[in-house]
Amino acid sequence: MSFDTKDSGMTRRSFLRTSAALSAGVAAIAAGLAPLRKLGQYSSVDEFLQKYYKELTPEEMKAVLARIEDEVQRQYGIRPHVRDYKPMNGVEFVYALNLTRCVGCRKCVHACVAENNQSRNPEIQYIRVLKMPNDGTFDVDKGDHNYAPKSVPEAGSFYMPVQCHQCKNPPCVRVCPVKATWQEADGITVIDYNWCIGCRYCEAACPYYARRFNFTNPSIPPDQLNLNMSYLGNRPRRKGVMEKCHFCTQRTRAGRYPACVEVCPTGSRKFGNILDPDSEVSYILKNKRVYVLKAELGTLPRFFYYFDI
Amino acid sequence: MNPNPNTSIVLAALTVGFLALAFSFARVPARPGLVSRPPLVPREALAITPGTVRISAAQLVSSGGDVSGLDCYACHHKDSPPEVKFDAEHRIILPKEHADLIISMRNCAECHPPNDPVKLDYDASGNVIVPAAHRGLLAMAHGHTLRNNNCYNCHDRDQLDQLHTPEGVALKFDQATLLCASCHGTTYRDWLAGAHGRTNGYWDRKAGPIKREECASCHDPHAPAFTGLIPMPGPHLLHPLHQQNPGPTKGPDDHEL
Repeated sequence: MSFDTKDSGMTRRSFLRTSAALSAGVAAIAAGLAPLRKLGQYSSVDEFLQKYYKELTPEEMKAVLARIEDEVQRQYGIRPHVRDYKPMNGVEFVYALNLTRCVGCRKCVHACVAENNQSRNPEIQYIRVLKMPNDGTFDVDKGDHNYAPKSVPEAGSFYMPVQCHQCKNPPCVRVCPVKATWQEADGITVIDYNWCIGCRYCEAACPYYARRFNFTNPSIPPDQLNLNMSYLGNRPRRKGVMEKCHFCTQRTRAGRYPACVEVCPTGSRKFGNILDPDSEVSYILKNKRVYVLKAELGTLPRFFYYFDI
Repeated sequence: MNPNPNTSIVLAALTVGFLALAFSFARVPARPGLVSRPPLVPREALAITPGTVRISAAQLVSSGGDVSGLDCYACHHKDSPPEVKFDAEHRIILPKEHADLIISMRNCAECHPPNDPVKLDYDASGNVIVPAAHRGLLAMAHGHTLRNNNCYNCHDRDQLDQLHTPEGVALKFDQATLLCASCHGTTYRDWLAGAHGRTNGYWDRKAGPIKREECASCHDPHAPAFTGLIPMPGPHLLHPLHQQNPGPTKGPDDHEL
């Protein structure tokens, strides 16, 4: 056997050239894949590949809920109880708020933040309490939500809390390009935080300024986390998704009152099933003077303001 | 196997390359941990409490024994204070005599037994002169213009542990809601339907109990109008110009009688 360097094809020069090309190629691949390292918002491949909410089978939903519990435990060090509460049969939720009684104490705002695991910093709040001049107007542009007197109510003002009106004809649902938000059978408009792409069209479409966007990763002190969570409700959100009031699905779909109703010291907030003729909201809509905010837009809210006098 | 050295070199280089790739992925930093910040709103401020400190002894014990807003010395003398006992969890142990006592505005008969009736003095216009011992305890402010400030409009002259309606129907203290209803009929109608007053618990009557508050749980019968609450902080102001307006400062207690 003759030793023919030309046939073997491997000289020192060709070895160096080949290895240089190879390492350059590997470096190029690594550089090309580098953006994947920033895909940190998806904690797992399962999350990235999760199916649309309405297409999930019960078994798949179970796996998704377990995965979310794992994620929350990893991030906050506490294991929550995440459930997928479904609408109840024969139930349509309606909210009524007594403008005669509301004193603007903002307890509802902070009870909502605590119940629904909203970001504390940057601050996200679903309820905005407007101090309105008592001159017969309902022009929300005249409202002030930064009032900070020593004591409320102030003379010459009334207070109008505004939150998601859970419209029967919701403009926010129509503009969503990926169907990440929809209206459920009990009237609650929900958001799938895993499907939302964060385009904020819904925020622009909402005439009640009800939707909030997570510009950064939300921060919640782990000891203040509400561990009773629902998939479409108060489970922790991530950067880049929308959120809004969902009538506390984790409470109301289990038969309880929303947190804002329970905390209201003046009893201004009323909630119930409009299909039940004996519920307090049925009584209010039958017997009280009722006002619908921006009724001219045809959004048909399920949120009514009423008066005692 | 082909002993071609080219193949070995390429395989070795690929191995090294993938190891380098794996190493670079392994070095992906974990998610940044949460920055711990002080809570913006104290949790205590969110506690579900009625609008005033009217509370029965049974509720008091179940609430953890917060007596900061109550005035025990309205009946007890400061010179000989009652001995307060606490259980292992630092909750106050209330004596049996207090079990059904409404603690902020007292049942007259607790201090004035029926066999020792009180003599009332009236001023020239016929209003009751509040005795010195009661000043600051009973703020008589029932009604906006015409003060409903004659004790015996509601209390029974002969039996101080009883109430009576203007029509003369005798009522026990725990039936005070019916006494209120004898004048405030429309509000009572709303309350019965659930449209007035606080409602806690379950909207779905099949799922669980509903908790209603009676009139005197929130309103002081002697001064039923609310005096005002300290508002909780508003939304954060991002623009520094607006931050010159400071938020509400902490007051002693926003539940004034």
